[in-house]
Amino acid sequence: MTVRKFRPPNRLASLIKDKGGILAQDAIAAAEVGVESLRESSMAALDESLAEIERRFGKSAADRAAEPFEVLYHLASKVIDVSLFVTDAGIDKAAMSLCGLADSCAEAGAWRWDAVDVHLNALKLLRAVGAELPAAQRDAMLQGLYQVSHYRPDEA
Amino acid sequence: MADALLPSTRINLERATVLVLDDNGPSLDILSQVVSGFGVKQLFRAESVMDAQALIRTKTFDVIISDVQMPVTDGIEFLEWLRKDGGEANRYIPVILLTGHTRTSQIFKLRDAGSNYVVAKPLTPKVLLERIFWVAREERAFIECDSYIGPDRRFKHEGPPPGTDGRRKDDLPAEVGDAQTPNMSDDEIANMMRPAKVQI
Repeated sequence: MTVRKFRPPNRLASLIKDKGGILAQDAIAAAEVGVESLRESSMAALDESLAEIERRFGKSAADRAAEPFEVLYHLASKVIDVSLFVTDAGIDKAAMSLCGLADSCAEAGAWRWDAVDVHLNALKLLRAVGAELPAAQRDAMLQGLYQVSHYRPDEA
Repeated sequence: MADALLPSTRINLERATVLVLDDNGPSLDILSQVVSGFGVKQLFRAESVMDAQALIRTKTFDVIISDVQMPVTDGIEFLEWLRKDGGEANRYIPVILLTGHTRTSQIFKLRDAGSNYVVAKPLTPKVLLERIFWVAREERAFIECDSYIGPDRRFKHEGPPPGTDGRRKDDLPAEVGDAQTPNMSDDEIANMMRPAKVQI
């Protein structure tokens, strides 16, 4: 087997050092201002994904057993995508746990509905009052979800 | 090893051409806003791997930032395509992958697909800028062989595996010779080992 080891030109390396530019702290501040302008649309997208998860995988969804594991995984990923504004509520972490659960169900080839229901209830609660919960209570809830989903945040 | 990004570090991304790829529109909006905030003027958005491939065939990029979890073709398959068939102008450029959750089955695939860095979602400007700075400054060699194309995965050089002579030309033998310089003092060791957080 031929192995070629070389150093291709890194154009980014020379561009980033060009004269002019801005301070890193100013670049970050400008990016944060830009992101803030997306708060409303991001929250709408987050609520839309949570509603679709509930509609397709909630207790009242008649055909939920027929849904592909991949769909729940993808919807939970979409929640994480826009959860920048709700990290204080723990929604991002609960959605990561739900991704882990969907993944483990896919590997096992069987749904664990009790675990899915617990996650959906937790997501609803966190969305409603997650940011106001005492940190210890919120963390305990997330730890409970990790146990149910076998999700290990330190390895993700 | 690349220097740390400090608040007072001056960066210039005005002339950088950047491709951002994410199938989720609102997520792509966030990513685009972040990258624009960094001063990037030539920003190209793609909502599917097919769109990204079309752009790569016609433009030269300086860095690509891509989501991993995408339907039909995911970020891993996209990166494997880029490294193999992305054309000479783009196949060696830095690629940062973004992921909200890393599937157990995919942990090694992200690295083995040829990514330069993986960043966890939800995305924050500070972390992404640190990673862009890191990939711009890193000095890793590129490896191209039948089974892998991408940055050298062994960038923490801890010597050859026990019981082997190693395969690198610069692999040192396991036997250690006599010291050529005096032992370091505790202070010198502490200064070298002390972890330092990036303050932005």
